Amino acid sequence: MRILIVDDSSTMRRIIGNVVQQLGVPKEDFDEAEDGVVAWKLFQDNNNYDVVLTDWNMPNMNGLELVKTIRAVDKKVPIVMITTEGGKGEVITALKAGVNNYIVKPFSAEILKEKLDGLVKG
Amino acid sequence: MSMSQEEIEALMSGADDIQVDDVEEETSEDETLEAVAVEEEAIEEINVDEILAGIDGIVDDEEEIEEINVDDILAGIDGIVDDEPVTATESSNVSEEISEMEQKINNNQYPLPVSDENKVVNQLNEVADDSEEKASQIFDVLSFILDENADISKYNKNMADFIEKQATLLESLSVKFPNVNVFTENLENAKELLDQSKELSSKVDAENNKVFEAMELMQYHDINRQKIERVMAVIKKLSSYLNGIFEDESDKPEVQIAKHISGDSSDIVDDTDIESLISEFSN
Repeated sequence: MRILIVDDSSTMRRIIGNVVQQLGVPKEDFDEAEDGVVAWKLFQDNNNYDVVLTDWNMPNMNGLELVKTIRAVDKKVPIVMITTEGGKGEVITALKAGVNNYIVKPFSAEILKEKLDGLVKG
Repeated sequence: MSMSQEEIEALMSGADDIQVDDVEEETSEDETLEAVAVEEEAIEEINVDEILAGIDGIVDDEEEIEEINVDDILAGIDGIVDDEPVTATESSNVSEEISEMEQKINNNQYPLPVSDENKVVNQLNEVADDSEEKASQIFDVLSFILDENADISKYNKNMADFIEKQATLLESLSVKFPNVNVFTENLENAKELLDQSKELSSKVDAENNKVFEAMELMQYHDINRQKIERVMAVIKKLSSYLNGIFEDESDKPEVQIAKHISGDSSDIVDDTDIESLISEFSN
């Protein structure tokens, strides 16, 4: 399973990467990006991701813009927004932009595992 | 207004029925609430003295700072030479000026100089960056512990496998030679070692769980960084607003202002004072 992890905090990328590794995904099977611009480039260069996990607030290109950009070319790839934005309005905005699931920070490893399992099986 | 994971799940299932108008209304309401929350957070007063009093090792500058003779320290380091000789009078004047400025700053009589290190947004930025760097280092340490634990588990499993085979062998030998006590004794020892190996394995698992827990808690670093960034954004907006409201676009030259005006509470002379001063100067 190829996963793209997008977050401007290197600590958050490592935390998410760690959970993903606990799920049995080897380190070489996931890529990391510190903003939407880098993520979009990686997405175009290796268009073989099974899941995209993205933060919302990031410099250069935020997560919402990234979701809209990806959805313009790919309607299928599952996208999970992992963010501190916990408002109802933000969740709805993200869903309308095309995210498949939404996780509010701080989250437990179990929550991320459940959501990833659901996306992969679904 | 933060949503729980259950509420998000409920939203996910009903996402198709959502109207755009609802989104705009909710977003606007959230933004208003968020703005109020930010103001309340920013206004919260912090008693620095109380915080410092609670931290070991923090001492009052005025009471505890030992005098350090910089010249003695420099003299002890090879290769340090004076660029130009400084006279005792010059040095004394500079330290007096610094001391006077510090005293004025401490008494709130003197604003802090507008240097990069005193700019609030710069300071907050530095705190956020430094925190990110340290969090990364902490993560390195936790990752190291996990890697080492993985090795310990691997070695433990190898040893347990070997001991188990030895135990099977000793069991056969003790059945075949019931009169040879050494087989029975070693079999007991091997079983004890296997129990210890299982205990070690469960201890390593428990330690790994604690490390994962610590890694999860490190998300608060990211959350706190974003809170700092929110305060920075408020300060920047406030600064821009104040600059706008106090901006003087007229080309009038700066006027000389009166120091004492009638109605001021002190230092205003009355007629008697003036007469007295005049007569004094006449003499």
